[in-house]
Amino acid sequence: MPSTDRNIDKEEYWKIIHIPDKAPIPPHLQPTVNAYATVINPKHANTLIRRLNKIFPLEDLRHVKRICKKCVEGNVQLLVILCLASDGSDQSENIPSEMVELIKSYQLSTFITKVSKYAATSKEEWEEQCKLWPTSYHPPTYNIDGITGFSEENSQSVCEFMKLAIDLAKSVDGQIVNAAVIVNPASNQVVARSCDQVFSQNNPSRNSAGEGYLEPCKLTSSSISNGLQTYTNSSSNSSFNEQKRTYGGVSCLHPWQWAEQQSQASCFRHPFHHAAMVAIENSAARDRYLFPASEHIVDKCWQAEVMDSPSTVSPSKKQKTETKVEDSGIQNSEHNACGSMPVRPYLCTGYDIYLVWEPCIMCAMALVHQRIKRIFYAFPNHNAGALGSLHRLQGEKSLNHHYAVFRVFLPESILDRDDVVTAVSGSDKNKTHVL
Amino acid sequence: MEACETEEIIYIDECMKLALEQANLALNNLEVPVGCVIIEDEKVIAAGRNRTNETRNATRHAEMEAIDILLEQWQRNGLSKADIAKRFSKCTLYVTCEPCIMCAAALSILGIKEVYYGCANDKFGGCGSILALHTSESGGSTRDEVSQGRGFKCTGGIMAPEAISLFRSFYEQGNPNAPKPHRPLAPSI
Repeated sequence: MPSTDRNIDKEEYWKIIHIPDKAPIPPHLQPTVNAYATVINPKHANTLIRRLNKIFPLEDLRHVKRICKKCVEGNVQLLVILCLASDGSDQSENIPSEMVELIKSYQLSTFITKVSKYAATSKEEWEEQCKLWPTSYHPPTYNIDGITGFSEENSQSVCEFMKLAIDLAKSVDGQIVNAAVIVNPASNQVVARSCDQVFSQNNPSRNSAGEGYLEPCKLTSSSISNGLQTYTNSSSNSSFNEQKRTYGGVSCLHPWQWAEQQSQASCFRHPFHHAAMVAIENSAARDRYLFPASEHIVDKCWQAEVMDSPSTVSPSKKQKTETKVEDSGIQNSEHNACGSMPVRPYLCTGYDIYLVWEPCIMCAMALVHQRIKRIFYAFPNHNAGALGSLHRLQGEKSLNHHYAVFRVFLPESILDRDDVVTAVSGSDKNKTHVL
Repeated sequence: MEACETEEIIYIDECMKLALEQANLALNNLEVPVGCVIIEDEKVIAAGRNRTNETRNATRHAEMEAIDILLEQWQRNGLSKADIAKRFSKCTLYVTCEPCIMCAAALSILGIKEVYYGCANDKFGGCGSILALHTSESGGSTRDEVSQGRGFKCTGGIMAPEAISLFRSFYEQGNPNAPKPHRPLAPSI
């Protein structure tokens, strides 16, 4: 059971890749439909297009251009789509009668062409589509940061938090487990963290149930790196090339094995206490601790009104207002720890989670329920992964919440206790790559 | 034979009524009204109801609450994990709404024997509506036999109108903890 792709180029390490909602199709294998097309006299173009849009509007093919210019032996030809054709070879039979009349009156000779069935989702797809018949392409305008790429600074902090998760995954005696770190990206603050706790572990850090939430403290990048060992690049005693590892201690890789698993010196606790599940509970415990009374809900309503009231404000202005509100909340919590409270979020709205392994379906759905905004994981889970491997929960349209999913490419050797880890020092290693 | 079947239907409805009582309890506590009971050898051994608002943990669904009661109790009584797994494999869950994807996955991990539910869950149902995690093929990779997921028998539509009417009352009174729609709380960076 390979847990990582072994043939990743070293240059790829620490790249952050967006895992899209749909499994990617190679651009040249995009689905197509057949359509009737014809060459027209440019003089008739305007009239014809108007009539065609009336007789046979391309409702489900808005991305397909009705008209196409083609150069044939130095002469410009105009081609138009008349209507869709059935897959069968039976011509003329399925052409609407009005269209037949039009064809007759302009003495058009029709032919069948292929057009792309769906709008392109990437430039590569679009280029491939235009080889068949021109289409329009609107690059996606996502509202979740990172899908269109990470800034140098943001990708640096993504890597720092992933390192924190890796460090947690190795903090348990005896075996590697999965680890989760929930972060508020607006303040770079760690909200909660946990390791797998299906079995109780001898763990020096405070990960026991109910204690893994962190009191408000701003995590600066120096405090992150202080908490981590500094790894050096020495390949001498690397176990990188040993036989495939199964990582028996990683709950999301083996969710059904809790009853069988032989574990030394650790006692069974709870079959659902995967790292993400415990981290969610820890963040909830933090919420209850920080906002114990209902009076803060009043504050929340007030905040909501402030944000909602200027309905005429443009989106960009509105965003600025919100940023200010959040910033002042953070400053309050820093300067006056027991004074005015930071904004109480609804569950984990706006928060990120860092996981060493792609979560199983139980954890992935739990993260939907808790309203996580972005998930970052390092290693795919071919056994039970729900974010691209076995299922793709981020693409389930019926769900009431959708997060964005990213993979941070890392060498498996980063899980070795004492050796080889590719240090992320050079800024060139942090280039963001979006598929 | 027919008398037997009628008896069984009455028995299933009686169990579901207990789950509905739990759902009603959730409603009275301003929680999304879902409730459940777990039955072993025709005895109710645990009951649970939604506590997501109270705990601010959106994973605290009725099923999770009931399962946790049993896990705690059995561990206190010194049952080994093998014993615990064996007990769950004899348990039947009655829940007023189709288990969500998370709970369906959890029930498969647990290895529960059977599930009866009330109304379907078109938004996040994990027992047929969105995903079908109760069928054994859907869990785990087929290449890796050890991690093969366990399926469970699953029957829906038990007293569904009663379950739905509780949801209706809930949405009429309003969910006090739900966010206002389209209100982004954390600013983008």
